[in-house]
Amino acid sequence: MNKHTGWLMDLYPGAQGGLSLWLLCDGGERLQMQMNFPVCFYAAGESRLLRQAWMHLQGRELSLARTCRRDLFSGERDLLAITVPHPGELCNIFRTLSEQFPDLDYYNADIPLPLRFAAQTGIGLLGRCRVSRNEEGQVTALERLDSPWELEPEPLPLRVLYLSPDCDPVVCPPQQLQVRFERQQFCLNLKDPQTLKVSLEALLRRCDPDLILSDYGDTWLFGQLREWAPGLNPNRDPLKEIQTRNAASYFAYGQVIHRGAQVHLFGRWHIDRCNALLFGEYDLQGVLEQTRVTGLGVQETARKSPGAGITAMQMLTALRTKVLVPVVKQQAEGRKTLNELIRMDRGGLIFQPLPGLHKHVAQIDFASMYPSIMVQYNISPETNLSGAPPGDREEEGLVPHTLRPLLEKRLALKNQLQQLDPRDCRAGPLKARAAALKWLLVVCFGYLGYKNARFGRIESHQAVTRISRELMLQAKETAEDLGFTILHMYIDGLFVQKDGLGKPHDFTPLLEAVHSQTGIPITLEGVYKWLVFPSSRLDSRLPVPNRYFGAFLNGDLKYRGIALRRHDTSLFAAETQLGVLKILAQADDPREKAGEARRFAAWQLDRLRRGKIPLDRLRLSLKLSRELDAYRSPGPAARAGRQLEARGQPVRPGMRVHFWYVYGGVKVSDVDLKEIDLGRYRRLVERAVDEVLGEWGLAQEPVLPGFGAVPG
Amino acid sequence: MGRTVTTVTRQLQETRRMLSGFRRGLRRSDQYVLDGLFAGAQNHIAAIGECESLLPFEAALLAILLEQAKEISTLNHEIKILRGRLE
Repeated sequence: MNKHTGWLMDLYPGAQGGLSLWLLCDGGERLQMQMNFPVCFYAAGESRLLRQAWMHLQGRELSLARTCRRDLFSGERDLLAITVPHPGELCNIFRTLSEQFPDLDYYNADIPLPLRFAAQTGIGLLGRCRVSRNEEGQVTALERLDSPWELEPEPLPLRVLYLSPDCDPVVCPPQQLQVRFERQQFCLNLKDPQTLKVSLEALLRRCDPDLILSDYGDTWLFGQLREWAPGLNPNRDPLKEIQTRNAASYFAYGQVIHRGAQVHLFGRWHIDRCNALLFGEYDLQGVLEQTRVTGLGVQETARKSPGAGITAMQMLTALRTKVLVPVVKQQAEGRKTLNELIRMDRGGLIFQPLPGLHKHVAQIDFASMYPSIMVQYNISPETNLSGAPPGDREEEGLVPHTLRPLLEKRLALKNQLQQLDPRDCRAGPLKARAAALKWLLVVCFGYLGYKNARFGRIESHQAVTRISRELMLQAKETAEDLGFTILHMYIDGLFVQKDGLGKPHDFTPLLEAVHSQTGIPITLEGVYKWLVFPSSRLDSRLPVPNRYFGAFLNGDLKYRGIALRRHDTSLFAAETQLGVLKILAQADDPREKAGEARRFAAWQLDRLRRGKIPLDRLRLSLKLSRELDAYRSPGPAARAGRQLEARGQPVRPGMRVHFWYVYGGVKVSDVDLKEIDLGRYRRLVERAVDEVLGEWGLAQEPVLPGFGAVPG
Repeated sequence: MGRTVTTVTRQLQETRRMLSGFRRGLRRSDQYVLDGLFAGAQNHIAAIGECESLLPFEAALLAILLEQAKEISTLNHEIKILRGRLE
């Protein structure tokens, strides 16, 4: 009998049945093991149909039984339990059964394998464990050695191989593949496929990476490799083939999102940084943190939205508490009168800002407000829908039970981060991990109201916003009682000001008063030495919520809703706007620096005129919101999309297209500096500069909103 | 996400669209003042929403009056200061 200690890296249905596990051992070995792991799903419905289903399945290598379990929405249900000995076969058995018996309700049929494993053994992916195995490599015992909620998990000694082409394959055909592993860095020529194949095979053998971190690996590299180097198997498990998943466009979070085709490996991971939804937000450390707490695989976590992570966590809670996970949710919104709808169906509270320049403003934010409400008020589809504070005896609902440890961990990491010097080498990874958890908490509220969410219910969603509005009003009243002026309130944050107060500790009594009044922790985001709320571009008398820029006491900038934050801004315009803001931030009164900022903007425009701005700084990036044929009057993005399509590139809604403005239109590649439409770029830059230096911003004192003089 | 009732902001926009003929019939200078009235209501969207009323335009009219009262109060205050200086 062998015993090994290490991190659980990967698990999937084995090529010869059972489960295949990969352990990254403390000694540095990467061990593959096999394990018997039968999996179970359920069918419910009319007894007659269940009997027929039983007959249909009899005689196969399955185990059938009658049982009873709780559906969160409809209570206890009589079930037919179908246990499949090899997890890889579940999908086919479920598909044929559901096609044969579409009127039955199915449960626990589409649960990702790592979640089932975590629910049964207590060991999630990336968790530390001790494994005993016999001579045949079969796992005989497992022991959990840590928990996903540990604040400082032991870091994984990962071997990472970086692969990226020398240019964006959409813009021009790459000539070289840049390779980085530990301290080595070199290029492989793409012109000779045979040499490339030999080099890559040698590289994989020599480095044996745990992770291939690529650029365009999903959408270009592995597809090309299949053509250039057939027979090359980048998996660590030699019995497995690469798994590819098709590209998809879908509507989520109020926008069309395109996810490129995916390439998943077995025994090692592949992440394409350009096809990983939030990789830019929280990097590899964030992906690993999400894997730890959600239980989903690393390759899945990197590519899926945080909503999938929250769903996985809820599934895990359901599995552990023996609650059924429906394949298709069947609950619709309950009937309401119009008055009830008007009372309940409202979003968060937005208190319009007072446009203009303000000095010594404090921004205070409720910490993870919506998840905190869900936990504190026990809001879950099966519990509190009224929004009243829960009683002592009320059992904690599935959603708050899932969120509580996540919320506590995020707050603990945030506290740790606040105590660290930003230059400390631990600050970066900690920040990434905190951001990864933040995203899970951000989406958990939306998922509560999402009609397809397994454990979502619109009434719970509405209860959260109802409570949040009440708490925000309480915070406003508390602040006003203490003599503060409320400049702006946005969902979970307030901008407050009081004459004579300008240091962070001046606001501590306010924080304590709001916390004690509302019961939800509130933190000081910072004190601005100055802050501008711009008014609408269309009518300077109209305020715009959540659009502002300002400088904190230490000179750091914060901005929302301006060109810098938008994806459709060229790097050059963004850099110019940032440069202007940085100059303004040097002064206690930004008006003192307005002249210098204007000179900087003029210098940038002069550089543009003299052709000194590199082309990559002028590239724009816009998202296609629909199919190309659906554009009635095609804008620049659609025209760029058509050019790509004409070159044989697949173009789908939700894809981001990159292009340059040239004389007579747009161009997606082969652009020469002489073709660039300088006038158009100048206007874009001027607009970005005007956004922060416009007359509504810095040339005037704060004005009372309302009537203005009739112009001219 | 999940909302079926039109927001107060949207309802006010709808009202504004309904009144577009009325606006068109006004002089350019009056149109500017009318836009100012709506801007006044826009400043109090949160308060209008808190009314939970079927007809938010009633509360919007109150918000417009509130802005006018503020404006009058500011002007009165300024007149008082100017008078003080003259006397």
